[in-house]
Amino acid sequence: MSEDREPTVIVKTVTRTVVPLIALTAIALLIKGHNLPGGGFIAGVLTTTAFALLYVIYGLDTVRRDLVTNAGGVGLLSGPTQSYTRAFAGGLALAFGSGVAAMLFDVPFLTQAVVFVDGIPLYGELEFASALAFDLGVYFVVVGSLLTIIAVVGKE
Amino acid sequence: MQPDAAVLVAALALPFVAVPFVPALFRVVGQRVAFFAAAVAAGSFGLLATQYGAHGAVQLPWIPSLGVSLTLYVDGLALLIGFLASGVGVLVFTYSYGYMAHEHGHVKYYATLLAFMGSMLGVAFAADLLALFVFWELTSVTSFLLIGHHQREDASQYAARKSMLITVAGGLFMLAGFLVLAFASGDTAAGRTFVLIGTENSLIANGEAVREALRAAGLFVPALALVAVGAITKSAQAPFHVWLPNAMEAPTPVSAFLHSATMVKAGVYLVGRFRPLFAPELPSVPEWTLLLATLGLVSMTITAILAVGATDIKELLAYSTASHLGLIIAGYGLAGPAAVELGAETGAFHIFNHAVFKATLFLVAGIIAHEAHTRKLEELGGLAGDLPIVAGITGIAALGMAGVPPFNGFWSKELLFETTYFVAVEHGGLYWLYPAIAVFGSVFTFLYSIRFLMLFFGDRPSGLADDIHRPPLAMLAPPALLAAIALATGIVPQLGIDAVVQSAFEASLPVAAEAHSLTLSIPKLFSFTPYLGMSLLTVGLGAVAYPFYGRLHAGVRWARAVDYTSPNWYYDGLTEGANGVSRRLAVGLHGGAFRTYVAPLLLGTAVLALAGYAAAGSISVDGVGAVPPVPLIVVLGVAVVGAGAVARAPSHIAGVLTLSVLGFMVAIVFILANAPDLALTQLVIETLVLVLFLLVLDRLPAYYGEIRSRARGIADAALASLVGFTVFATVLVATSASPEEPIFQYFLARAGVPAEHGPFFSDFGGGSNVVNVILVDFRAFDTLGEIAVVAMAALSVLTLVGMRAQTETEMAERPESDSADDPAATPATDGGRGPPPASADDPAPSDGTDGSGGVDR
Repeated sequence: MSEDREPTVIVKTVTRTVVPLIALTAIALLIKGHNLPGGGFIAGVLTTTAFALLYVIYGLDTVRRDLVTNAGGVGLLSGPTQSYTRAFAGGLALAFGSGVAAMLFDVPFLTQAVVFVDGIPLYGELEFASALAFDLGVYFVVVGSLLTIIAVVGKE
Repeated sequence: MQPDAAVLVAALALPFVAVPFVPALFRVVGQRVAFFAAAVAAGSFGLLATQYGAHGAVQLPWIPSLGVSLTLYVDGLALLIGFLASGVGVLVFTYSYGYMAHEHGHVKYYATLLAFMGSMLGVAFAADLLALFVFWELTSVTSFLLIGHHQREDASQYAARKSMLITVAGGLFMLAGFLVLAFASGDTAAGRTFVLIGTENSLIANGEAVREALRAAGLFVPALALVAVGAITKSAQAPFHVWLPNAMEAPTPVSAFLHSATMVKAGVYLVGRFRPLFAPELPSVPEWTLLLATLGLVSMTITAILAVGATDIKELLAYSTASHLGLIIAGYGLAGPAAVELGAETGAFHIFNHAVFKATLFLVAGIIAHEAHTRKLEELGGLAGDLPIVAGITGIAALGMAGVPPFNGFWSKELLFETTYFVAVEHGGLYWLYPAIAVFGSVFTFLYSIRFLMLFFGDRPSGLADDIHRPPLAMLAPPALLAAIALATGIVPQLGIDAVVQSAFEASLPVAAEAHSLTLSIPKLFSFTPYLGMSLLTVGLGAVAYPFYGRLHAGVRWARAVDYTSPNWYYDGLTEGANGVSRRLAVGLHGGAFRTYVAPLLLGTAVLALAGYAAAGSISVDGVGAVPPVPLIVVLGVAVVGAGAVARAPSHIAGVLTLSVLGFMVAIVFILANAPDLALTQLVIETLVLVLFLLVLDRLPAYYGEIRSRARGIADAALASLVGFTVFATVLVATSASPEEPIFQYFLARAGVPAEHGPFFSDFGGGSNVVNVILVDFRAFDTLGEIAVVAMAALSVLTLVGMRAQTETEMAERPESDSADDPAATPATDGGRGPPPASADDPAPSDGTDGSGGVDR
């Protein structure tokens, strides 16, 4: 945003409060996605929205300086972009790897399984779905890719 | 003996497997990597040698679920080509060690040459038409790299492009021919197959039925012609011979390899391989002969005459290669009752002889160019004093090329004369032209062969350097070995015949034919036959004409200078014309105005989709007219109002905001339809897009929604309505299908946690959100593909923006740089749009918010 249109204090304060809430909601959507509305894709887009809000209100430089401390990388890949590209590369690897892991158990690629574990304090019986790993991969790909696009286009 | 699948695959795979090791080895041993490559070639040769005498097919499962398997076939012809490719390969790699010592790009050179050799072995042993095609085009691609080895030189670029265009285009014709064959085989009892030979259902095994199916469909001649185009472009037959002389820009070992033993031999191999399919034993002369024998003989004569007009030793050898390939094709082409066996003998024996003497001569040409620093015929002469051993080698090879008895080329040429003679005697009339053309063309062959030999004799031109050294051993041993083979084959031709030629020509006979054994020996020369007379006539005429070589040479050069007679003129005209057209097309299509991208795209999509629905007759009107519930009407009504407001919005901000009204209404529709996941996604995406728009909004030009003229406004409205209708029709079509057993029942049954379950299971989804279980479990493969696409979109944005930044920096550093020597950059600058190449102006598909794209002027 250009200098002459400095956001108001109200907007800044609200953003400060809202962004953590959005992030929390996103994580809840990600984890609960197997049984309730939600999932990796929605959670990823929501997280990106939180970041985009920060970009719009606080500007690229603040995010680069205060939020993402990674300073490595060259050229276009410098700063946050590098973290973002790593996020989507890692996410893709995670999703793919979770599929390959199934093959180690001699079942077809991307077969998912569910384990129920008893005797966890507070919860009692808890369900762990291997699909969560895959969903986590989806989440990181979405967050990483969208933020890469925003950061690169924004830099332009 | 049945071939051994493991050995065969190892022999084929070895060159490809060795390729990645070349760069690493080059760092360690430097140029001695040549010997590594030679060892690889020797390894392939050795592995193939263990299959000597084998006959039959091996099938390896490739994609078993589709019934596709890789079929390899071993017989005499395949082994002949395989031995030539790997055997000459050993010699060429060894020779390269000496020749390439002062050249650049060793890693690329050896790696590509190895890959090329592997592809050539693949061509020889693939029995499956599709595998054959893949290897065939691989030889084209790798030879493109080899011919263009000196990649900075214009002549190399031109030569590489030319060979690539001609041979790859020919390969595509061949592919079309293969498809015709495969489809025709579908009409036979054996069923559709891509396997050419070796199995019970193969095309050749069912040749009779396949031919009848082809003739019934009227496709026999088209199929034959399509396959023949592939063969004659690859084997540089007139009028496609023009790429071969240009290809001499390659380093000489490459020329020796590609143009004696391998690349061009692929074409004649194909002819020999398809001969049993297209040329059955018939009382009459088949179309095969009329097409291929005529073409081969004419091509042999034309290119032999052109060789006499050559000024450069490699150019001479190039034309002579085309000429001898014409001889081989003519041999295979001659079929029918009198020639079915003789023709195959001619083809197979001359493949062998030509590879041996031509590889020798190319290697000699390399030695001459290397030591005398010139390849011009008129600047060379009397080299025998400096290079006595090379002179001896050349004598053996050149006399073989000339067809002088008793050198090796004589025997196969004699077989050609014999074949043409018997065809003429059998059929009479115009068929007497065959022997006449054969003799006429061979006179020129004799002339240029002697001219090449005379490089070593006669006067030494004054301009020739005095310090002509003898070549290093690595460069001398390979041609010497080849010349020894040529000499042995010449004196005792039965050696070559027994070794490979007998079994090779049997492969080109009709399926049912009984082959007799071919016997040739010097004592046969003492009983006079008409065809021996033809040979003597050739040599006699050649000897008489040789004193007038200078005049002939000048005459050929004069005739060549006429534009209309030269295929080069047509080739250059076509390619340069195409360049102009594509430049104009690029400017027209890629001018930077968003409208020119969007309008045809939308119109095309809409028209194609609607035409598809109409053709399938699948637009149903079920459900049209039903009244939706009130809340839905309200929500959709708001959406329509929002849509109307978008069209009337005065600015970007207003447009984006009203557009998002539309999006949020769609989200509510999802909620009303009990689809919380979809609604959530839609809401979040809508919000994100809104925020993104706000982020880039003040970068967009202020211009907004201005309609230049009434006509344009109406056209736009019509297009928009058409797109809207297409979407409407798509929804109708997509929702009207009602299969017997909807898949959602399976999903619903399997998604949750089963009533009784253990602590671990993988056959149920285990989640109560079916949508999510579908995404991450049932259809996880789809999701994986989708996130890969998302990642790719991000990568492409990164690359496009990165490229633009880079180009701008380069342009700033070198203000007048690339535009002159880089034709790709010209369209962008032609349009007066400044330096950034057109690609940087593409809005990335995923963001749709590129700063400069949306302007319509």
